[in-house]
Amino acid sequence: MLAEGAATASAILVRGLRKYYGAKAAVDGVDLEVPRGSFFGFLGPNGAGKSTTIRILTGLIPYDSGSVELLGYRLPEQDLEIKRRIGLVPDESLLFDRLTGVEFLEFVGRMYGLTRPVAMERAQGLMDLFQLQADRKIIAEYSKGMRKRVAMAASLIHHPELFLMDEPFEGVDAVGARLMKDILIDQVRRGATIFLTSHVLEVVERLCDRVAIINEGKIAVCRSMAELRSGGESLEDAFVRIVGAEHRMERLDWL
Amino acid sequence: MIAAILRAQFLSMRPGSSRGFAWGAVSAFFWYGFWLFVSLVAGVFAAHAPADLLRSSLPLGFMGVCIYWQAMPVLSASMGSSLDLRKLLVYPAPHEKLFRIELLLRVTNAIEMLMVLAGAVVGLLRNPASGGPAVLPSLAGAPLVFALFNVFLASGVRSLLERLLSRRKVREVVALLLAMMWVVPRFLMMTGAKPAWLTGASVAMRSFGWPWSAAAHAAIPFGESAGSMALAWLSLCVWVGLAAWFGRTQFERNLRYDSLAAQATPMKPVSKRTHLWSERFYRVPALLWNDPLAAIVEKELRTLMRSPRFRLVFVMGFTFGLMFWLPMVLRRNASHSGFLAQNFLVIVCVYAMTLIGQVTYWNCFGIDRSAAIFYFVAPQPISRTLLGKNIACMFFLYLEATVLTVLTLAVRVNFSIGQAIETFVVIGICAAYVMALGNISSVHYPRALTPERVSQSGGGKPAQAMVAMLYPVVLLPVGLAYIARYAFESEVAFAVVLAMAAIIAAIFYWIAMDSAVKAASARRQLILEELSRGDGPVGS
Repeated sequence: MLAEGAATASAILVRGLRKYYGAKAAVDGVDLEVPRGSFFGFLGPNGAGKSTTIRILTGLIPYDSGSVELLGYRLPEQDLEIKRRIGLVPDESLLFDRLTGVEFLEFVGRMYGLTRPVAMERAQGLMDLFQLQADRKIIAEYSKGMRKRVAMAASLIHHPELFLMDEPFEGVDAVGARLMKDILIDQVRRGATIFLTSHVLEVVERLCDRVAIINEGKIAVCRSMAELRSGGESLEDAFVRIVGAEHRMERLDWL
Repeated sequence: MIAAILRAQFLSMRPGSSRGFAWGAVSAFFWYGFWLFVSLVAGVFAAHAPADLLRSSLPLGFMGVCIYWQAMPVLSASMGSSLDLRKLLVYPAPHEKLFRIELLLRVTNAIEMLMVLAGAVVGLLRNPASGGPAVLPSLAGAPLVFALFNVFLASGVRSLLERLLSRRKVREVVALLLAMMWVVPRFLMMTGAKPAWLTGASVAMRSFGWPWSAAAHAAIPFGESAGSMALAWLSLCVWVGLAAWFGRTQFERNLRYDSLAAQATPMKPVSKRTHLWSERFYRVPALLWNDPLAAIVEKELRTLMRSPRFRLVFVMGFTFGLMFWLPMVLRRNASHSGFLAQNFLVIVCVYAMTLIGQVTYWNCFGIDRSAAIFYFVAPQPISRTLLGKNIACMFFLYLEATVLTVLTLAVRVNFSIGQAIETFVVIGICAAYVMALGNISSVHYPRALTPERVSQSGGGKPAQAMVAMLYPVVLLPVGLAYIARYAFESEVAFAVVLAMAAIIAAIFYWIAMDSAVKAASARRQLILEELSRGDGPVGS
């Protein structure tokens, strides 16, 4: 059973969110509602505001206006309550390179309030689950795919209610990706909410039940996957049409 | 191509904030201001010294320039900027051109020595004995060729060291040996334990056969026979040729070197007993504190112990540091009742604390690099992280002090148990001051450090010099306790002032922590950007 958060139907509730970098609005009046227990895909072209939104949701950067609630707790006022309940896989590495995989997982568990024996036990279990060898090798020597597996294992160790994942499958081989997808699907089945960004639209199409597409800082569309594909379009076709990025194939003289 | 690489590096080096730029500018002003002063002194000396004095002193001066050029980067555990060959090898860049950039970097690494040489040349020109502009070609040419020799040699030494320092286990030993090479002769000289061969060596160092002597003779053409001048130039040119060959071949070998393979963890399993002991060591914080503080301290202990960069400064604290200060109390004429002799243990421990500071408290997120993001997303206040990092640093500091106490006893520098206790108390108070300031500097001036590289600087040379200048200011309250002891010849006065210093340290630490936490919250995005920043084609 997942721990009970504040009683709301939404895992994420964002209203009128704005974030400016100088005069440019990276996020421009975003409204977003992610139901609890959903597998939510957050898509957008490069520079559309995806990572900025995720960074705001994780409390890494402050926002300029609007309101953000995660699991019924308000950000930034109740950020510690939120942090205790979320699992994060950011696009950049949050792994401490000089620790071994199992040491890192144990450390993360203890930071999230687990006792040492429990953290150790869960760390070992996650190492096995993610098919990582618990040897002397420090994380600095891990491949990119192994690093992603450790990062995802770390996001699971405290049994969070909500996962925020920025490109979790990037650099992971097919076997690893399958393993990670199965684990995520299982988490949703158990009641967790997953909010993920990915440029691999096939993955989003297969996993997510709801999708929001952000373009130039604004939510262009937020629908269920079934609604989005109702016209017989694939997610890729819908995505390209919505962000208006259909390109002309031009030839460069020198190419 | 060279211009493109340099431009890419220039663009990569743009400061992240105006504050970073201001800090860099101020520290550069003081650093190069100091060297401008030194070059003026060299110029005034060269302008007024009689020819005989010039002939005997100039070789020593040139030898000093050479030692600084080659050894100073090693001593400061920083080898200056270098080409990041892994980034550049993918481009069709001829090795010759890359080598030219490498040489340029070796020039920029010792700008201050060029300033000193320029000062000396101007001084020599103004010297009445020189004969004026007629000797300019030889007078200016010899230092220039000598500079070229140093650039080639520095390039070769750097390449060689880079390979040696990238090997597991070898790197710390090599770096330590290099540092010891600098202090051992001084130690032998000052303690009077100078072996006979060293006397012979110091005379031989002035012979034409050495590059500094050859350059010095070539730079003072007045009063020299044509034969000896030719010999000096010949010697200098041979040295330049040898240095060029050495630099080029070492650079080429670096191009073919796989540093990642050299750093890989060996497959050989570690012995059960070693593993047990190391685990016991890492688990000590859990006996003293509750989680998450214990977890943070434990994580820091593991991280620092596995960082070659930290291990080097830690070992240097009780080897290089001891060898540096020991001659002052062991030398033949040293007073055993002097300040240094009576407070030797405190001084070496404080010195060790300054060495550790580069990698720990001044830039406490540096070794974590982009993983520092974890501290901002974890459900713990950032003050706990800073406290945990400070405790881990104190842990190593007291470990260092313990080793130094044992070694000091072993080399028969006498001290009482009271003095040992005093040292441990003083170290604790000093640490509170420097860590308070370090916490502020860590959130305002974070910089990513590469733990595998024992040679990377914690900041530029000027910035390091600025940090060194901060120590006397920040440790002044503790210094006042010692002044009180000697001014009033009273242990009570010492204890009272030290107690006051401790109280002020606690208040200062508390205020600084509050300020650092606020700054970390406001600047978290900038901090993470700085810690994730890449080096560009020329790595630091």
